[in-house]
Amino acid sequence: MKKIFTILLCLTLCLGLIAGCASKPQTSGGTLNLFTWEGMFPSQVLKGFTAETGIAINYNNFDYDETMLAKLQAAKGGDYDLIIADDYIIETVISEGLAQKLDRSKLTNYSNINPFYQDQFFDPSNAYTVPYGAGVQTIVYDPAFVDIEINGYADLFDPSLEDNIGIIANYRVITGLALKILGESYNTEDVDTIEAAGKKLLELAPNIRVIKDDNLQDDLVSGEIAAAVMYTSQVTTAKLARPDLKVVFPSEGIGFGIMASFIPSKAPNADAAYTFLDYILRPEIAAECFEWIGYYSTNSAADSLISKEYRDFLTLPSDFSGDTEMIQVIGADAEDAHSKAWTAFKSASGK
Amino acid sequence: MKNRTKLPNVYLGIIIAIMYLPILIVIIYSFNTSRISSIWGGFSLKWYVELFRDQSILEALKNSIVLATLSSLAAAFIGTIAAVGFTRVKLRSSGFVEYLSTLPIMIPEIILGVVFLIYFSLLGLPFGMTTLIIAHTAFCIPYVFMLVKARLAGMDKNLAEAARDLGASGPRAFLDITFPLILPAIASGMLLAFAMSFDDVVISIFVTGVNTNTLPIKIYTQLKTGVTPKINALCTLMFFVTVMLGLLFVFITNITNKRTTTKESSQ
Amino acid sequence: MKTKRRNGLSLLSIMPLYLFTIVFVAGPLIYLLVLSFLTRAEVWGVVNKFTLDNYRNILDPIYLKTFAESFKLAILSTSLVVLIGYPFGYFMAKLSAAWKRYMMLLIMIPFWISSLIRLYGWIIIFRANGTLDGILMGIGITSAPLKLLYTYPAVVVGMVYALVPFMIFAVYSSAEKLDWSMVEAARDLGATRWKAFTTVSLKMTLPGLLSGIVLTFIPSMGLFFIADLLGGNKIVLVGNLIQEQLMKAHNWPFAAALSVVLMVLTSLMIFLYRRITNVKELEGLI
Repeated sequence: MKKIFTILLCLTLCLGLIAGCASKPQTSGGTLNLFTWEGMFPSQVLKGFTAETGIAINYNNFDYDETMLAKLQAAKGGDYDLIIADDYIIETVISEGLAQKLDRSKLTNYSNINPFYQDQFFDPSNAYTVPYGAGVQTIVYDPAFVDIEINGYADLFDPSLEDNIGIIANYRVITGLALKILGESYNTEDVDTIEAAGKKLLELAPNIRVIKDDNLQDDLVSGEIAAAVMYTSQVTTAKLARPDLKVVFPSEGIGFGIMASFIPSKAPNADAAYTFLDYILRPEIAAECFEWIGYYSTNSAADSLISKEYRDFLTLPSDFSGDTEMIQVIGADAEDAHSKAWTAFKSASGK
Repeated sequence: MKNRTKLPNVYLGIIIAIMYLPILIVIIYSFNTSRISSIWGGFSLKWYVELFRDQSILEALKNSIVLATLSSLAAAFIGTIAAVGFTRVKLRSSGFVEYLSTLPIMIPEIILGVVFLIYFSLLGLPFGMTTLIIAHTAFCIPYVFMLVKARLAGMDKNLAEAARDLGASGPRAFLDITFPLILPAIASGMLLAFAMSFDDVVISIFVTGVNTNTLPIKIYTQLKTGVTPKINALCTLMFFVTVMLGLLFVFITNITNKRTTTKESSQ
Repeated sequence: MKTKRRNGLSLLSIMPLYLFTIVFVAGPLIYLLVLSFLTRAEVWGVVNKFTLDNYRNILDPIYLKTFAESFKLAILSTSLVVLIGYPFGYFMAKLSAAWKRYMMLLIMIPFWISSLIRLYGWIIIFRANGTLDGILMGIGITSAPLKLLYTYPAVVVGMVYALVPFMIFAVYSSAEKLDWSMVEAARDLGATRWKAFTTVSLKMTLPGLLSGIVLTFIPSMGLFFIADLLGGNKIVLVGNLIQEQLMKAHNWPFAAALSVVLMVLTSLMIFLYRRITNVKELEGLI
């Protein structure tokens, strides 16, 4: 039995040796502490940056926007040099004083940004942020398994779709779907309206097969479900695998979101952050990045460089005239009403 | 022993087979061309190529191994000597402290992560390996402690007493008599603790620092773009390395053990 | 004199646990308790204003139901883990020394591989026209895909799969010290195999079984991502609720209150369980 320890120790040592081979390359330009989800950049873009500038990238990850804010708060706006997160949380980050104003003179490629994605609620004068990927919530369905034509959220309530729909696990989007059917705003703070939407949503419960955020497209592609409400990157992956799937911009209105980057107030190496931001704003680099993440390109100069295979998915259709609305932070009572309606809806779906 | 049937071994075999079924699937799908994890798109090695291109994953793997080793060792030390100590002394508070020490595995990790984050920053501890080890040790201790405790329960205390009466000092009696007897429990506890620490993501995300990304953090934070089969490739490699090394060492141990036993019996 | 020194040593040996528990467990938990009585801020963070609303909130039937669901799933999983894990640990202890080592390794290796990735393995197995459907339809047991994924049974399988090693190791480490000659003796005295097992083996492995149950039950109350992934998020457990309050609703005090109630209820269950089983050897084992 004593040997078990020896075994364990040796195993660890060997694995340690393997991992030890992965020591970081020598660099001269300092380090950039990047903080965002995993997989936000293709590895050749990160490598190319280090090779060109000598700045090593230390890629740190968070799961939820809220985790990021909690960590940034614990670090008092320090530790990280560049953060990419969702729009609504950045509004809070800015109001908590945890972001620093951008010096646009350090961003030579700033003019490449598509103005459509600027002047948004979270940063009305574009003082703090540079947009990265953008997305909308769409309905995707497999026409082979769906007998009706789906045009909007209301069609998802059709009894023929029983136990056949997958939705993302974001209650502001999903309760919001019911709000949209009722003709309300995503961001209403009226508790009665939210409760009414919750009630409406309960009618959708029998049709729900799965509620999840990660890899929902797998279920659609493999035939586990026939229709889904998904994020843009999931739609991109699904359409690439199965071109026969149909994508619908819901007639009731379209939820719209932007991921943006900002420099924390006490970033230890803000210069490296500027260098990196400017680097990913280059059209050819940006095109590579958007193809990789599968979100809408926010870089006008990059649009024409995106390969044909991807272009339709990564830029909004030229005739796009949908009624879009961004999901914003709402007051405590409204938020609590949302989460209660959501819990009731999830339990009802399990029946 | 003579009339033992084969049935128990069949049972062990079936359960082990079921345990390895998902692993087998992971291995098969690591060679999948398609980025979609559930659709077979043909054989390919491209995820392995991707994996070796990604320095940060290997870096994270290293951090995870260091973290799991140190925190399972710390938990084994604290848990074992406490379990042994509690058989000798009983303070009025010991029941309560034992109970307290099991609380970290009683509530969902996520709230523990948030509370640790705030508490550590109140204490002014710098986030990094230290905070990771502390947090992991906290939820690893119960596993070692309870297994050792169960092993000690009803064990013949007289053995150690006798050794001491024959002049062996306390620590000596512990090392010579008690320790070898509870070793299987320590080993199982440590193995579990290592696995729990090696796999933890939620607490780690909250207490990690800027230089200590762990492997589970890398895996779980691909929310925006979806988990790629690159991770399957990594798991497959890790699986084969652990299996081969593990079997090799057990094999060697078994041979040496056999030799010592034969030597002893021939003397 | 001698006893005093011995006590001193034993005292010293429990000190690390005392210190660690007080500083790094009690400390954060006291903070958790305080947090559960504070008020949430309008958008982010907490306001230092005392309130009992968070606890009152839990009494809402929608939220109370999540506690019932969590207990139901935890008890069901723990029972199945006993049924599967106990015989495994027990038979494992009967193997030769060499095989014991192989076995231990075989059980542990899967658990050194990311649980998320293993769950993805299960998802592929359970998927419509997936591995299991293929096997069942291949040998003619079923004729159409079963739609097993995102159902309650799938969640239970995932839970048992994740928790069974705790039981196996707990039972094994107490069965391993079992004196098999006593079982033989009982058999020689004319006891049936079953009788010998219940009077000798079971009694002697009881501490392991009981600590295995505790080690399985406790984490199963807090586990929720298995229900998310294999159950399609349709079974709302307390863990889900806590996560959502923290990460989406930004209501930290409510999440803290839920955690406190969860801890109290789980402790109560274990206390009751200890009273009912009332095994002498188990004294002090929680």
